Amino acid sequence: MRAALAAAALLWVATIATAFQAVRRFETTPGRAADARAFWPAGSSIDRRGDDWTLVMLIHPHCSCSRASVQELQAVLEKAPSVRPWVLVYRPEDFKRGWEQTEVVKAASRLRRAHVKIDVNGREAKLFGGFTSGQTFLYDRNGKLRFAGGITSLRGHAGINRGRVDIIDIVSSRAAAGSHPVFGCAIASRSETLR
Amino acid sequence: MSSTSITERAGELLSAQLTARRAKVDRMFAGLLTLQYVAGIFAAFVVSPYAWEGKERALHTHVWIAILGGAGIVILPILLAIFRPGTALTRHVIAASQMLSSALLIHLTGGRIETHFHVFGSLAFLAFYLDWKVILTATVVIAGDHFARGIFFPESVYGVANPEWWRFLEHAGWVAFEDVFLIWACFLGMREIGQAAMRQAEVEQLSEREQLKTAALEMALAEMQATA
Repeated sequence: MRAALAAAALLWVATIATAFQAVRRFETTPGRAADARAFWPAGSSIDRRGDDWTLVMLIHPHCSCSRASVQELQAVLEKAPSVRPWVLVYRPEDFKRGWEQTEVVKAASRLRRAHVKIDVNGREAKLFGGFTSGQTFLYDRNGKLRFAGGITSLRGHAGINRGRVDIIDIVSSRAAAGSHPVFGCAIASRSETLR
Repeated sequence: MSSTSITERAGELLSAQLTARRAKVDRMFAGLLTLQYVAGIFAAFVVSPYAWEGKERALHTHVWIAILGGAGIVILPILLAIFRPGTALTRHVIAASQMLSSALLIHLTGGRIETHFHVFGSLAFLAFYLDWKVILTATVVIAGDHFARGIFFPESVYGVANPEWWRFLEHAGWVAFEDVFLIWACFLGMREIGQAAMRQAEVEQLSEREQLKTAALEMALAEMQATA
């Protein structure tokens, strides 16, 4: 009995240490960084207006971590009224309509001023050079990229973070440009990305 | 029975009552830890069942952590509650595991602030042991968790990348606020049980005296009948 309890104690300590290390690694490992275009991509179907800043966020509708990204976007919009936000929601063309109607997308639809657009096969994501759900781009009135990255501090963690602060500072002319790691699911599988 | 023996007997009664009570609380926690384990897996499946890569999906890391990590957290305290109920080691391991379960549930629910209330509820349950040291163990574990995460990934605890080094003390301070009242309740509870044990020892002594008197009277009566 004593030996069994000692073994259970060892297993207890080892499993706890491993579990917390796994959580730490998972939450702190960013997704693939964007290959962002320095200027607004010519082939995009998004209506960019020259009189406002344009923010584009890529979302995988089933990425649970992106709930935090949408929450953070709301915080950005409250502080930066001159930003026109677009949320591009990935959907593979061979998946039936409605697959993308998740809580994440519903939350994005409730954001004031936000335009939610279905991005079939991640076509727009490819144009903007984004690979990870939560990836955010901020373009100025001249179509120049000023921010590329994520707006959460970790996977699925809402709260003040460098990305959110950077965007607000850029729009308020307190900073010129910014970037931040992006945390979320891959927008497209590797085979789709290579196509 | 002298006053010393009354005190000794009261001590025995107190010890027996506490052991029985603490063994009962151990069993309650064995059930609670099992329930939390199942709830953790359920929460992981509801909040984040899959990780996606385009149109491909795989079981989310949180589900694996809930199943394997959760099992790792609860296995030792449940075994101790079954095979070593009522011992100090069992309740301290249970206290640590309960706090680790809180930390795990907070992670699995995506850091929801509401889940942090689990810590405060758990401390209240741990006070059922009437052992202030158990409250202290739980506090040290949760403060240690905040301290360690504050160093390695502070955003997950405080929401900012560069908190002050003492920020964990602020969080632990709120736990300490509850601890003050729970530890006070432990001392009050112990005093009441101690007084009850003392009263029971006195009643036992009176009863013993009465039995001796009755026996002496019966013996005297028997002698009188024999002489007559």
